[in-house]
Amino acid sequence: MKRIFLWWGERALLLLVSCIVLFPILWMFLTAFKRPRDAYSISLHFKPTLSNFVTVFSDPWNLGEMVVNSVTVAATTVLIAVPCAALAAYSFSRFRVRGRKFLFFLILSTQFIPAVVIILPFFLMFRTLGLLDTRIALIVVNLAIVTPFVIWMLKGFIDAIPTDSEEAALIDGASRFRVIRDIVLPMAAPGVLTATIFCFILTWNEFLFALILTRRNAVTLPVGLVSFRTEQGDLWNLMSAAGVMITVPIFIMALLIQKHFTRGMTAGAVK
Amino acid sequence: MRDRPLSYLLLVPAFLIVLATTLYPLAYSFVIAFREWDLTKQNRPGTFVGLDNFTYAFTEPGFLNSLWVTTIFVVTSVVLTLFIAMSLALLLRRTGRMHTFTRIILILPFAMSPALIGVSYRFMFNPEFGVIAKGLGAIFPALQGVPWLASPDLSMAILVLTDVWHWSPYMTFMCLGGLASVPRETEEAARIDGASGFRIFFGIVLPQMKGVLMVVAVLKTIFALKMFDQVVTLTGGGPGNSTETLAYFIFNVGFKWYDMGYASALAWILTGIMMLISIWYVRMLLSERKVATA
Amino acid sequence: MAEVKLVDVEKRYGSFLAVPKQSLTIEEGEFLVLLGPSGCGKTTTMRMIAGLEEITAGDLMIGGERVNDKPPKDRDIAMVFQNYGLYPHMTVAENIGYPLKLRGFNRQAREARVAETAEKVELGKLLKRRPSELSGGQRQRVALARAIVRTPKLFLMDEPLSNLDAKLRVTMRAELKHLHHELGVTTVYVTHDQMEAMTLASRVAVMRKGRIVQLDTPKMIYSEPANLFVASFIGSPPMNLIDGVISQGTFTAPGVNLPVSAADRGNVVLGIRPEELDLVPADGEGLFSGLLYALELTGESTLVTLREGTTVVCARGGADFDAPIGTRCALVPKAGARLHLFDKDSGERV
Repeated sequence: MKRIFLWWGERALLLLVSCIVLFPILWMFLTAFKRPRDAYSISLHFKPTLSNFVTVFSDPWNLGEMVVNSVTVAATTVLIAVPCAALAAYSFSRFRVRGRKFLFFLILSTQFIPAVVIILPFFLMFRTLGLLDTRIALIVVNLAIVTPFVIWMLKGFIDAIPTDSEEAALIDGASRFRVIRDIVLPMAAPGVLTATIFCFILTWNEFLFALILTRRNAVTLPVGLVSFRTEQGDLWNLMSAAGVMITVPIFIMALLIQKHFTRGMTAGAVK
Repeated sequence: MRDRPLSYLLLVPAFLIVLATTLYPLAYSFVIAFREWDLTKQNRPGTFVGLDNFTYAFTEPGFLNSLWVTTIFVVTSVVLTLFIAMSLALLLRRTGRMHTFTRIILILPFAMSPALIGVSYRFMFNPEFGVIAKGLGAIFPALQGVPWLASPDLSMAILVLTDVWHWSPYMTFMCLGGLASVPRETEEAARIDGASGFRIFFGIVLPQMKGVLMVVAVLKTIFALKMFDQVVTLTGGGPGNSTETLAYFIFNVGFKWYDMGYASALAWILTGIMMLISIWYVRMLLSERKVATA
Repeated sequence: MAEVKLVDVEKRYGSFLAVPKQSLTIEEGEFLVLLGPSGCGKTTTMRMIAGLEEITAGDLMIGGERVNDKPPKDRDIAMVFQNYGLYPHMTVAENIGYPLKLRGFNRQAREARVAETAEKVELGKLLKRRPSELSGGQRQRVALARAIVRTPKLFLMDEPLSNLDAKLRVTMRAELKHLHHELGVTTVYVTHDQMEAMTLASRVAVMRKGRIVQLDTPKMIYSEPANLFVASFIGSPPMNLIDGVISQGTFTAPGVNLPVSAADRGNVVLGIRPEELDLVPADGEGLFSGLLYALELTGESTLVTLREGTTVVCARGGADFDAPIGTRCALVPKAGARLHLFDKDSGERV
């Protein structure tokens, strides 16, 4: 009796947890398909419509431009940060470099510097250079947040790969670069993919930098959300539609690499 | 392994990025922190004012308020997150279809944009048409018509709620990682020795989880100290300045009042707090690793 | 094929001295085994030869050429790793063919050589598989095939059999021995298993704390151990070592009285192998008399342990030996048995 009760109790608790996690997301998805009138009632009886999506992609909201900005900024940041970080992570993981501990400590520490400290000087610099409200500015500041994080994460992944195969390749006659290309990269591929997606998510969701550095031309999706707060009040149905646009690509990515994702979350910290 | 020149060469690109995007701006803001600089009046840094910006901070009600707000926020969100994460980890530890499903679901909050989380909670707690506000009102008549986000205490509570919702899943995965590293044998030995589930947890499992829980607590503290996104999209710092966290306050000083010198000084105060915590954290990590490899 | 020479080679990690200065010559075509407990520096020594570890001081010569500063790829060596070091993302054929690919062999030449080598180690049917789909023994063969697919100057093997089960280990041992005979390539082999060392080696270097404490043929290592460490490390069950004193031509210890032809001295250790002892009835005059402590039947013989005071002595008796525990028994050295005397403090042979 007691065991059956416990068994069902555990399942019920899990269900409750799933509901708490899913509810806000589901509600947003529902609202995105509601007419304005329905959005302001909590009724589940409504005729779904795509009109919100049509609206947000047309004037004056032009969500399409924001999508382009977000994709460009996140993709470029990832393309620069991940290869550089991968090389550094490999070096940190495999070589006993003089001063390695200090460098690693330095890079780790920068991960904990509040973004708001970095953004002040960047704002001033970009103002002088005329780079305010450009994607380049966003890419540069995002690199600051993302690079140390990826180094940390990839080091965790590379540490877990045994060195045997690399040494075997060295002896089989491969140069160090050849070893990295032929052996390390294919073996570290799941880790690199995970780091890439983590990095993409961080940049994609980044809010503070974009809020400060962009006005009109380089606005990204999260900052775009704020623009639905108008003089007529908050346009919830449109916000939700924009929210769907922000979350869907990220959710797909996260779920695709689900197994590695949870490993990546704990990489580095639990050692 | 060998190849000394290469090992340094590999570090160069990443190091240049960190140098240019973090170390240089840090130095720049450090310089500004000791100067007077009202951006609405002048385009170059003003006169050197020594520690004035710092001493001023500790007499100014706005800063002191944000310090207090941040403290409350950090303490409540860290304690709640830690408790929930640990409980969820214990719940999810076993295998089962429902367990796997919940684990997958748990990835979603972390992947969601914090700004969007703020927006959707603001929507759900709207007293006129928010689904949570209405739902709670229907279940508990006493909660009908409560102006959730117009009350200082309640809006702080919702701010904490959004943060806990966002971070608990991530921290749950960390705790799960920690639980996985607790050897089953000790637990089984204790069970055979006749210890109850309760005693096994507090006497055997929890002590071995100490390291992981410390890491989770410190990481969460650092993230909580930076709280900004949801403040903008959920409460706007209000009502009044009841949810003005440090990061949000600094943002206001810098980009609403354009007082660059003061904002830099404040940013450095926040950095100081975080550096102390992170140095302690990194040291702990390194020493834990030493123990692990020994 | 080449001769390998280590001249005053030393390895330090910072201030930690892993392998103190020493010299060693491995002759052309020889099968040299580096034997010792874990942490004795045998793997470090091999990794220095491979070029995976830098040499702190001294010279390493392969085929008469100093190779200290050459990267592993230019040393023309092949190595088999303890965990095989296979490339998990490549098929068996790609694994074996990788050294050839790096040397610019074209596809056809590569495939032919790979097929030929795979046949030699009986992997012909598995060429399309990936390492994760193979058993431990098969992985071991892939690693071996990858090493012999070209003819290097030198084979290095780092505990290649330690991850296999006991039965497979014996089979693979024979195959390794055959392969060495067939190819005749100079081989350096690292192990902590004295049985592997004895069966495979043309010479064994026993290492302890970074130093080679004895370098000789397996036969000599077994019959003339240079010191207590080697004496206790080689042989299974290990040599009996009895602390005692010698006075007036007799070695004495609790329960032991044995005439020896050596000068009087205290603090001496007498060594005798269990195989060279005979069990006799308790009333007979023996080297050692004690109470039966344990009996272990190994199949072809019985290990008999006797105890008297602090002295414990083991002997190999016939498979049919049986007596109740606690029975008083005695042991005598067989005719022609070899007695070893060691100084207790230095551990050196007297």
